[in-house]
Amino acid sequence: MNPLVIAAGWLVLGLVASAVLRRRTARLVAIVPLVGAGLTFLAARSSTAAVPLGGLSAITGLDRAGQGVLIAAALSMVLVILLQPSIDPALGRSIGVVGAAATVAMSSSNPLVTGLVLSAAVATLVLRWIAQSPGRVTLAAGRVAGAGTAAIVAASPLLPLTGFTTGDRPVVVAALLATGVAALLAVYPLGGWAAGVIRTLRPIEIAPWMILLVPVVLIIAERIPGGVLGTGTPVFEHVLLVVGLGSAVWGGIWAVRGPDTMRYGRVFMADIALCVAAVEGASVSPAITGALVILVTHLTLAPILLRSRGSELVWPRRAAWALLSGVPPSPAFWGRLLLLEALAAGNVGSTIAAVIAIGAIFIAAVLACAPRPRPVRTPAVPERRARPRPVKMPALPERLPNLAAWLLVALGIAIGLAPQSLAGFVFGH
Amino acid sequence: MGVSAPLLSIAGVIAAVVAIMVDGRRAVAIAAVLLAAGLAPSAATFGGAPGVAVLAGSAVAAVLLAWAGWLGGRILPWLSGLDPMIPAFAPPDRLFGPRSTRAFGAAAAIPVASWVSFNVPVGQVTVSEGLLFPIAYAWVCGVVRLLVARTVEDLAVGVAMIGIATGTAWLLRSGTDSFGGAVLACIVAPLAAFLAGWLNGRSSRRARPRVEAEA
Repeated sequence: MNPLVIAAGWLVLGLVASAVLRRRTARLVAIVPLVGAGLTFLAARSSTAAVPLGGLSAITGLDRAGQGVLIAAALSMVLVILLQPSIDPALGRSIGVVGAAATVAMSSSNPLVTGLVLSAAVATLVLRWIAQSPGRVTLAAGRVAGAGTAAIVAASPLLPLTGFTTGDRPVVVAALLATGVAALLAVYPLGGWAAGVIRTLRPIEIAPWMILLVPVVLIIAERIPGGVLGTGTPVFEHVLLVVGLGSAVWGGIWAVRGPDTMRYGRVFMADIALCVAAVEGASVSPAITGALVILVTHLTLAPILLRSRGSELVWPRRAAWALLSGVPPSPAFWGRLLLLEALAAGNVGSTIAAVIAIGAIFIAAVLACAPRPRPVRTPAVPERRARPRPVKMPALPERLPNLAAWLLVALGIAIGLAPQSLAGFVFGH
Repeated sequence: MGVSAPLLSIAGVIAAVVAIMVDGRRAVAIAAVLLAAGLAPSAATFGGAPGVAVLAGSAVAAVLLAWAGWLGGRILPWLSGLDPMIPAFAPPDRLFGPRSTRAFGAAAAIPVASWVSFNVPVGQVTVSEGLLFPIAYAWVCGVVRLLVARTVEDLAVGVAMIGIATGTAWLLRSGTDSFGGAVLACIVAPLAAFLAGWLNGRSSRRARPRVEAEA
């Protein structure tokens, strides 16, 4: 199946779902990513990976890794929707557009097409975010992420670099592509918008960016230096290594210091920044494997941790944080170990920065696992004591989120026991 | 016939300056038309008549789609929401307002565009000619407009400027795929105009009953 057909499926279903569904049936929005995953599974596999450094050509097709990341992200999105306490049906439009954009971006070898579809995804998300919460932070998402996609679009007339592998042109192209990747992955100094959006909006609103867009951009960014960037290759790699490590340390520290509601978002951003730094700055074999393990871990645990914080799912949430902590044999441990191994092969400065970031993420995970202090008991008011406490029996639909969450935790444990095998099963390498 | 690079640059610069400063409900369409007109000499030099047709088509489509979007937003009843003209946040009163910031950005864009035009070759254009200047200037102005945006309309104007500038840069590539790339990049401007028009139409439909009720 052609990737354009898959993208059309995402788009049409998303638009129809947002127009047809009402609040009572809103959870059926999950059909959009579910069908998207099914269509992607049926796609004809391309033998070559699409690297957006070529001229204007047809959509080449999805390779094994692209197919794997799109299916895993779509299934994770399904579970995020199903585990949310409430859903706005209009979210289907964002999910449909972002899913379609991710599919085309993953299969396009042209930077113009990649930049334009990523622009469409960012525009859709930003309009929704601004409508949900008009303010400086949501507008900043449009400004910075929009400028990032504009940088990728601007690099397109300068590519391919055949015959121009030296001089200023490859350096300008590398700088534009690095800006685009950093802005879309919310790596500092271009990452403040994501932190603001995480603070302002409900987790489900940010989920399409975190789950559908970030893994795709990360995979594309990993492939770029492998193309012909000429003298721009070190610029691209070193810029993303430095800003990635700085962002990972900053994100880790703020995951410890920041409020509970933002902790998972901060840890996610720190992990992604660490992945970017490792796969770009230390492109040896453990780096990409480690990044893929980290991606699989987040895609597995995000449905639990993106659920609005409440009294439910307390223990699955703690178990999920334990799996993210980096304590062996959690999957995050293996992923970060491989990233650290790759960075250690580079220089000692990278290793020290990575260790600080990993340590901060561990402390943040421990803080998130720790039980919250109970409120001080005051003598009960007589009327209140006299009132009988209602006995709440959990109905079957209320138990289903718990069951799904524990199954995800079990999957997380399985990934920790066989990280490379499961990452290989999903991504093909 | 030789090409006067300063003349091309002046046309592009004037268009980009007007596009970065324009405000109001028709800002996207105005910016798209002016920028297409300003960059048309550059497009004619390297893309010939088809190149000019791409920019002209983009400008006409922007105007028509902005109007169609406005009309659709007023007629179709099932959605509500966002006024693209209302600032998403209100900064404190300052000596230099949003237009001053844009003017400063437009001034700062000159050396950036100049460096790009004399150091970065695109396609068959050699760096000594400096013919990339108006396009690079328009692109940088678009990014500045995007980065200092306060409203959704500002974002749409910035996106339209970037689309038209990139489309003209594709025409300069002069390869087999330059025309297709230019069309693809220039489509962005009409789409941005449609979106802004749609949001404007919806917000004007909502404002009207309120005015009538108050009367």
